[in-house]
Amino acid sequence: MSGLFDILKFFVLHAVFIITALIFSVYLILTVFSAISLRKYLRKNSYVDYNSIVSSPLAPTLSVIAPAFNESRTILDNIRTLLSLYYNNYEVIVVNDGSSDDSLEKMIETYELEKVNYYFDYRLPCKRIRGVYKSQNRSFKKLTVIDKVNGGKADSLNAGLNVSKNELVVSIDADSIMEPDALLKLVKPFTEAKDKKVIGAGGVIRIANSCEISGGHIKKVHLPKKFLPRAQVMEYTRAFLMGRMAWSELDGLLLISGALGMFNREIVIQSGGYRTDTVGEDMELVVRMRRYMVDNNMSYDVVYIPDPLCWTEVPSTLKVLARQRSRWTRGTLETLIIHRKLLFNRKYGKLGMLGYPYWLMFEYLAPIIEFLGILWFIFLVISGKLNWPFFLLLFGFVYFFAVSLSIWSVLFEEVTFHKYEKRRDVFRLIGTAFLEPIFYHPLVMLMSIKGNIDKLFKRNTWGRMERKGFDKS
Amino acid sequence: MLPWIVVSTGLFFVSAQVPVYPETEDSTETVYTNENIQEDNLISRYSDRVMVRFDKSPLFITILYVVILYSIVTLITLLIIILLNRGRMQREQKLKEYLKEEYQQKLMDYLFEKDKLDQAFLDLERIASNKFNRQILIDQMIDLSINLKGEIKEVINKLYLLLGLMKDSLEKAYSRKWHENVKGFRELAFMGIREANERIIESLNSNNEILRMEAQIAMVSLSDDNPYHFLHLMEKPLAIWEQITLHELLIQHNLKVPAFKQWFESENISVLIFALEMASWFKQKGAGSAIIRLFEHENDEVRRTAYKVCGEIRLKSSLPAMKKIYEGESDKNKLEILNAFARIPEERHLNFLKSVLDMEEDVQLQILATKAMENTDEPGISMLIKLMKSKSEYKNYQIIIRHVLDGRIY
Repeated sequence: MSGLFDILKFFVLHAVFIITALIFSVYLILTVFSAISLRKYLRKNSYVDYNSIVSSPLAPTLSVIAPAFNESRTILDNIRTLLSLYYNNYEVIVVNDGSSDDSLEKMIETYELEKVNYYFDYRLPCKRIRGVYKSQNRSFKKLTVIDKVNGGKADSLNAGLNVSKNELVVSIDADSIMEPDALLKLVKPFTEAKDKKVIGAGGVIRIANSCEISGGHIKKVHLPKKFLPRAQVMEYTRAFLMGRMAWSELDGLLLISGALGMFNREIVIQSGGYRTDTVGEDMELVVRMRRYMVDNNMSYDVVYIPDPLCWTEVPSTLKVLARQRSRWTRGTLETLIIHRKLLFNRKYGKLGMLGYPYWLMFEYLAPIIEFLGILWFIFLVISGKLNWPFFLLLFGFVYFFAVSLSIWSVLFEEVTFHKYEKRRDVFRLIGTAFLEPIFYHPLVMLMSIKGNIDKLFKRNTWGRMERKGFDKS
Repeated sequence: MLPWIVVSTGLFFVSAQVPVYPETEDSTETVYTNENIQEDNLISRYSDRVMVRFDKSPLFITILYVVILYSIVTLITLLIIILLNRGRMQREQKLKEYLKEEYQQKLMDYLFEKDKLDQAFLDLERIASNKFNRQILIDQMIDLSINLKGEIKEVINKLYLLLGLMKDSLEKAYSRKWHENVKGFRELAFMGIREANERIIESLNSNNEILRMEAQIAMVSLSDDNPYHFLHLMEKPLAIWEQITLHELLIQHNLKVPAFKQWFESENISVLIFALEMASWFKQKGAGSAIIRLFEHENDEVRRTAYKVCGEIRLKSSLPAMKKIYEGESDKNKLEILNAFARIPEERHLNFLKSVLDMEEDVQLQILATKAMENTDEPGISMLIKLMKSKSEYKNYQIIIRHVLDGRIY
């Protein structure tokens, strides 16, 4: 019996060591891949003249779909930004998702809209469309407004897809701010494709809290003043410049952020459009589109662009952050459950053998393991059995490794896009990298646990974002 | 988030509080106990306490120390790099701006101030003694000559040769690094130097798309009579992005437009499609019969582009042929056929369009057929009004026709 116990202990201790080594190796590998990928991208694109695509008759046609629910405060500015993007062949479809405020009235008045006799097919299921509006004023001919019964973001995107006729669709949050050249940069991979069909492209989402914004455009970039949004800047920089960049290089990208993504419209429709029964509709769509392509023996690509293409306001209060993170956790879990068939399924190549297992093990299960560890830690402290020296050693080991990864991402940002011009902002970002593992990360972990509990008790709501508005954050 | 798993898993480890390896009788290694811990200094006391807990697992402890040390060293190194990089970038930027301004002045003196010409040349020659400076000088010459034409541009070209800058460009064109090649091709193409044409032609079929595109651009610029001759040599597919760039070149540089039908039999499908698009853009109606022949092409996309082009160049003679093949085409291709009918409205095809409206289930096909009917003006519109009034159980014509007749939908 004692022999068996020894073997068990031996296994547990070595398993822990192996897991640790594995995790660190994965992170180091991802860092290397993202560095290679970033370098390749920057070098290639330094020779590209995006202007040639602006008015080319050969450029693909695009529909920008922006769902809006009670966005009365910002909707007019956001439409103005969308109508002034650098591209020629595009239309803007704003979907008023049954707003209870005066969003629709404001749009009708400002853009001289009138209800038209629009005929379309409900190729994708969505709530009843009450009307399609077009402007009387030719200057706004790119704009179409759909008024529909409230059904959520995914439902609104499906409505937009039903009305859109263009080759490519761009899904965007109505409250995000797109860079003027975002469409040019997103469309490029679709025009470069030869052997593989590009089915989706996403880019870096940056945080707009504390930035100077005027006329719907970012005028000056500043690091957020408050710690909470600043910690999210660190988190986003790491995720977008390291994680996603590397996964794109490894062809294992599972997520294109709902804040901004470009897709092949026909493939989206053939894959069934956005699912309305999940709160992680952005991730679920990408995974389903990828599955669709594999199931139909079509070679494809999902592309990631490291350029900052879109700016969004992140939660600046714990309450709103908790809602957002709970939704992200539920969304991830739902996607993983829906597509569980992918796990270690060779048929799906890197998606099944690398991408899915990574998301399951490291993105979904990580907070749970971590939470159990903390419970165990508390138990050991209370029972006086904790080996403090070893704990501190282990803590130092994890802490310094985590901080060094964050600093890598700061370096990537500095040598690539260099968005924070002030030296002070970079110092503060570095400072945040040191504080984040202690003051921010445990909170996010607890929020993720709450997401699991919410899922367990079927509290499956979207949750309001409650934005402060860019000018006040 | 990820590294924190390690804390948790590590805490499980902590909980074990037992030796990692079972002790063997012949073990000669020191067994640490609370009694023999040396309390001479804080560090050794700390290390020894760890050893007690993990007994014969010093390797693991060593690894932890090594990773901590590695992380701290990495951290410090990265912080230094970040700081130095900021300074370097700012310095480089300032230097470049200063040199650009200075060189531009010298070039202006050389070009426009006859009394300063000799001095300016000597100054430029002195500048050109350093590789870094030479590159900035070449960039400045290119920047300057973008806005200049005729004689002055020729003077810049001559100066480029006199200063021996061509050698630099050729070196870059023959470099092993693709990004150097790109720079070299650009400079040579700009200065109209054909010495590296062989190398450029080789790169037309390179696997690197940027290099390939730069080679195409260079070939267009360096060609006198047929700027697109290189399309005959293209083996790789021509991506839409490349097509956009080639089209842009043709427009911007006012180049001689070739007869694009010469590529209608190309085995490279993307070249063929590009040629069709260009025939449409430059309204090459002379290519009409060759385009109609492409209706029988085995490639779906080629046929689709051919239908589209017929509509765009208003090729009436193509309509009967399209009508014949409509039935057997895919929905995507049918859309282009109907688009062509909408662009070339003819009363004699009304019955065909009406039958399409009756027969098709796809909304877009129905809308386009109706649109084509509406475009024939009076006869088509009266036919549509009649249809609107008729009560068909089979199809709700009203909703389709209302959409098409609504002038507010562009």
